[in-house]
Amino acid sequence: MFQSSRKYLILFVVPLILFSWSNFVFAAQTGLVQATITITVCGNGVIETGEQCDSFGPVLGGATCISRGFISGTISCQASCDFNTSACVSAPTCGNGSCAGGETCSSCSADCGSCPSSGGGGGGGGGGGGSYVAPVTSVSFVGRAYPKSTVTLLKDAQVAATTIAGADANFSMNISGLSGGNYIFSVYSEDNKGIRSSLLTFPVSVTSGTATNVGGIFITPTIAVDKSEVKRGENIVIFGQSVPNSEMTISINSDEEFFNKIKADAGGAYLLNFDTSVLETGQHNTRSKSSLNGEITSFSKTVGFLVGTKTVFAQLPVKAPAKGDSNSDSRVNIVDFSIAAYWYKRPSPPASIDLNGDKKVDLVDFSIMAYYWTG
Amino acid sequence: MIKIQKLKILFLLPIFYFLFTFSAKAAELNLTSQTQTIGVGQQFQVDLALDTKGEDINAVEGKIIFPADLLEIKKINDGNSIINFWIDPVKNCVSNGVKKPDEICFSGIVPGGYNDSKGLIFSITFLAKKEGSGAIKFSGVKVLRNDGKGTPVDVKISNFQFAIKEVGLPKELPEIKDTEPPEDFKPEIAQSPEIFDGKYFLVFATQDKMSGIANYKMREGEWGWFRIAESPYLLKDQDLKSFIYVKAIDKSGNERIAAVKPKYPIKWYESMWIWSIIIAIGMIVAYLGRKILWLKKSK
Repeated sequence: MFQSSRKYLILFVVPLILFSWSNFVFAAQTGLVQATITITVCGNGVIETGEQCDSFGPVLGGATCISRGFISGTISCQASCDFNTSACVSAPTCGNGSCAGGETCSSCSADCGSCPSSGGGGGGGGGGGGSYVAPVTSVSFVGRAYPKSTVTLLKDAQVAATTIAGADANFSMNISGLSGGNYIFSVYSEDNKGIRSSLLTFPVSVTSGTATNVGGIFITPTIAVDKSEVKRGENIVIFGQSVPNSEMTISINSDEEFFNKIKADAGGAYLLNFDTSVLETGQHNTRSKSSLNGEITSFSKTVGFLVGTKTVFAQLPVKAPAKGDSNSDSRVNIVDFSIAAYWYKRPSPPASIDLNGDKKVDLVDFSIMAYYWTG
Repeated sequence: MIKIQKLKILFLLPIFYFLFTFSAKAAELNLTSQTQTIGVGQQFQVDLALDTKGEDINAVEGKIIFPADLLEIKKINDGNSIINFWIDPVKNCVSNGVKKPDEICFSGIVPGGYNDSKGLIFSITFLAKKEGSGAIKFSGVKVLRNDGKGTPVDVKISNFQFAIKEVGLPKELPEIKDTEPPEDFKPEIAQSPEIFDGKYFLVFATQDKMSGIANYKMREGEWGWFRIAESPYLLKDQDLKSFIYVKAIDKSGNERIAAVKPKYPIKWYESMWIWSIIIAIGMIVAYLGRKILWLKKSK
């Protein structure tokens, strides 16, 4: 009886462990690839991360001129959700070059100038009242790409803005003139070798009359290999670019997955010399991700290579997307979509449109095109 | 014996739980409505939404079937959709050139993919025609993964069951006034050996977040009427010397016009208008000159 119970106990525990393990693996994988994008809205009456106040209301969060280091006055909130302290009165500091905080010509001629010698002055003008100015509907984007790289922003799959990232790989851009509603925004960048990142896409619900801030965008690293086929036992170089000094994790997918950690250099470049003696003969894939200060990217594009009996050097990835660029302009965009739409359900489509080679243009071809989209 | 049965349950429970949670990872397509009770003559809105359940999705297509004897479509709104480009715009299905009144077909893509739980695809406003019950159902649904291969994703569908009763209820849905024009857009001239025999064509697309785009109209040149057009549009002026105007009109009648400058603007001496003006001025000068001469002669 005891043995039978133990058997059942094992039968109970084993699936439980299996289940917990599978969930653990799923959670771990999800956690690893989760991009840390944060979305805040300026003008929604709530003070969120990165905002000093909120312009709708306005909501000052208990802040006053005094709490901000002034002696009196009225604090207000700007349309950008930063404090406006122009109506606050500073403590008088005679000689600081500013005639403010109760300083007069008689109390501080150094800042306010000398008083008129004869009497009879006119009265001063009254101060202007403040009024709430609703911000225009806009979305700003802040994130990291690669040093001095071009960052492209797509709004609903069409190019809305481009910018150049700084030497530290940080970028920011702002678009306005939007309506209230759901938008799909995407960003991608090109590294110093012209290799494109994968598209990082995120839905944003925009409220009319508010400023939405999308922060923490971390574009995936670029990746390439120096050999398309490598003789087993020789090294293959896996390289690309990300944020300067970021921690790179490079995965080599095989029956067994190998993870290698290296650090990107001051220019954001990384390079791994991987010894292929641990790999079986056959096709393998590699991809990378980057982390810095607790923020982590999704995995990069996947690059394939063959472990075999000879070594064949690879060309640098060309700018043209692998599929979907039917008019050969190195982009996959509305033009290619329109060409494919023309051939949708028509007989005998050209090979450049029939992306999966099944002699018809259907949803699968459009899905492949959507994957390689550049805008 | 009881103990063994208990252990059996303990053994089977985690397995069922595991299988359940595994199957729950399929993406979900739902038809839902805020309206609880539907009365005869009443309008109600049904939303079609996608919950990707963690999958990265980039293409959706399918069909919605409803009992046409009970329901009539009053409005289709794809304005706030996650779909950026419609392959088959949301409308009645057409079979052998015949419009099917009880079926709505849709097919579209989200370039770059979509992975979220509240993806509105479109909304339909129905009119309840008479008493009865039925369902608005999905058919032939395909949801594809954003993996560069178009791999199909398991989909769990949720149809909308309804019952129409003879009750006095407000007949029409409160109308949200849409005064905003469609979004700004840039039509693009393109050329490809794959279509229109390599001739120049124009592509265009924009969005209207409130009511959706009703249609586009086009005009080539400074004069003439705007005519209904679809992208891709084969240009009449293959010399690309004319201005092109594309008007996007939303379902509330708001308009946005985008202009495309001519790639090869005509020189002044190529303009018929300029020559017409020159000839007209010349004729006036000649007439006046003749008149002056005649006056001088008559003196």
